[in-house]
Amino acid sequence: MAFLISFDIDGTMEFGDPPGGVTVEMVRRAKELGFIVGSCSDRFPSWQKQVWDSHGIPVDFWVAKHMLPDVKARFQAERYVHIGDRDIDRQLAEQVGFHFWWDYEAVAEPWLAWLAWLDDQR
Amino acid sequence: MPHPVVPREWFRNKEGLGLWEGRGKVVATGVGTSPTARRWDEKPETSMGALTILAIRKAIADAGIAPEEIDGLVLTPESTTGISKDPNTPPPPGWEKHFKMASFPQAGITRGDIDWLLLNMPELKNVKFMMNGPICMSVSFVAAAEAVARGLTKTCLVARGWHNLAGRYYVGVGASALNTASGRFKYSSIWGLPACGTTAMVFEEYCRKYGKSHDQMANFVVTSRRNGLMNPDGYYSQHRPEMITVEDYLTARWIAKPANIYDNDLPIMAALAVVFTTPERARDHKQKPVYILSHGQTRPESMGVVPTLEQWERSTDRMGRILYEGAGVGPDDLDFENMYDGFTLFHQFHLEGLRYAARGEKRGYALDLYETDISIEGPNPVSPSGGNNGNGRTRWWNHRDSILQLQGRSPSQIRKKAEIGVSGAPMPDSCDALIWSAKPPV
Repeated sequence: MAFLISFDIDGTMEFGDPPGGVTVEMVRRAKELGFIVGSCSDRFPSWQKQVWDSHGIPVDFWVAKHMLPDVKARFQAERYVHIGDRDIDRQLAEQVGFHFWWDYEAVAEPWLAWLAWLDDQR
Repeated sequence: MPHPVVPREWFRNKEGLGLWEGRGKVVATGVGTSPTARRWDEKPETSMGALTILAIRKAIADAGIAPEEIDGLVLTPESTTGISKDPNTPPPPGWEKHFKMASFPQAGITRGDIDWLLLNMPELKNVKFMMNGPICMSVSFVAAAEAVARGLTKTCLVARGWHNLAGRYYVGVGASALNTASGRFKYSSIWGLPACGTTAMVFEEYCRKYGKSHDQMANFVVTSRRNGLMNPDGYYSQHRPEMITVEDYLTARWIAKPANIYDNDLPIMAALAVVFTTPERARDHKQKPVYILSHGQTRPESMGVVPTLEQWERSTDRMGRILYEGAGVGPDDLDFENMYDGFTLFHQFHLEGLRYAARGEKRGYALDLYETDISIEGPNPVSPSGGNNGNGRTRWWNHRDSILQLQGRSPSQIRKKAEIGVSGAPMPDSCDALIWSAKPPV
């Protein structure tokens, strides 16, 4: 059973412009725990891939912000969440049926609680 | 103290005026550019006013002259095109420790102000000629050119700063952050199109009329970013040095289809200052003089809320004729064009109005031209500055680069010899433009 997390970059990730509160280490941890992770941002997709590579994180997707529906189509997951700092992030996430967390909510790594839920299911 | 705006009769906004009387009597020499930032961090030392002071000092140093030699100052006071603060909003704490205060509290923060600049630049002790060039720095360049040509100032600074505050810029959240909606944008800023919406509509008309497509814009956008990334003073080279690919552009999010997110320019903090003087005085300046051959102006015909393709074509055609008549040159004399691009989708209207690299064509050829070699290495450099699209929103990268190209020191220097170029901004039907030359007119 998989969970998918989509990260916006500017205003959300620590390497965004402006920097956000979500750290590379949080993303790395999520990836190592088996989450499907990637970025969905208005920054160039080609650059998104480069920046994840530079941090040594083999993300599963790196797409333009309006491509969330394609991400959902490409990956089967129990839950989908997009994290961002703007109304457009929430709007796009809700349109495609993703759960949404604001950047400041995400710094607590709330997705980790999903693993506990998964344990309960077992 | 209110300062005069440019007298209406100084503008060359009709045909039949002949050669410009000031042709060859005015040159640009020193150029100063501030550092850039995406948004203001509310520190006095990074404010729009502080950046403008920095740019002015750099321009004076670049010209190799003493500040006392400056006897004129032309400023564009508007420092944003977005939603901004009420002019009476108090400055942030600590502001008064850095700057002397002018007559209104937002001077140097969200509005440029000649008095504020002079209060805070005591070295500019001999400025006698002062004028505002409203809305666009293109207007200030024209004002300074006329002022020098008319003998009203001998060594004149032209300056403009840009601010970008935290929060949204235009429609929706930006507008609703204010208590009221008023003025000419009272409907459109709340319920209207995104800023690029009208341009998108006219571009769509253009594509339909000439059988073109938005995909044909890709090489222009990629080349603009490449040119911009060569500029160490640009926002992208300083803060986001990543290169766009054709695929990035073609798969980008629509803002107002057929305008996508990368057809829009990014608001930033920045300031530019340029020194204008007479050719005689320029002999003592450090930088090579760049002659102004002429200038031209268009303004909207105001036939409706949204312009039409025919209006934009008529207006840019007129600009071409006015400029060439005043300068005594023609389209084949241009070695490059640096017309405005802040939205990319209207750049081709400017370009076609000038018949730049037209090869006998009149309209509907620019997107085909974009698909050829329009790089700085090629035969027809298009927007070698990279413009707003390659550097961030200022409306002056293009003018700055025209001067630097003709001085032979542009960071994106065209490979062929640069002798005559053109730059202008902003809109196809509301534009002020200048023709620049490396040599005096014969």
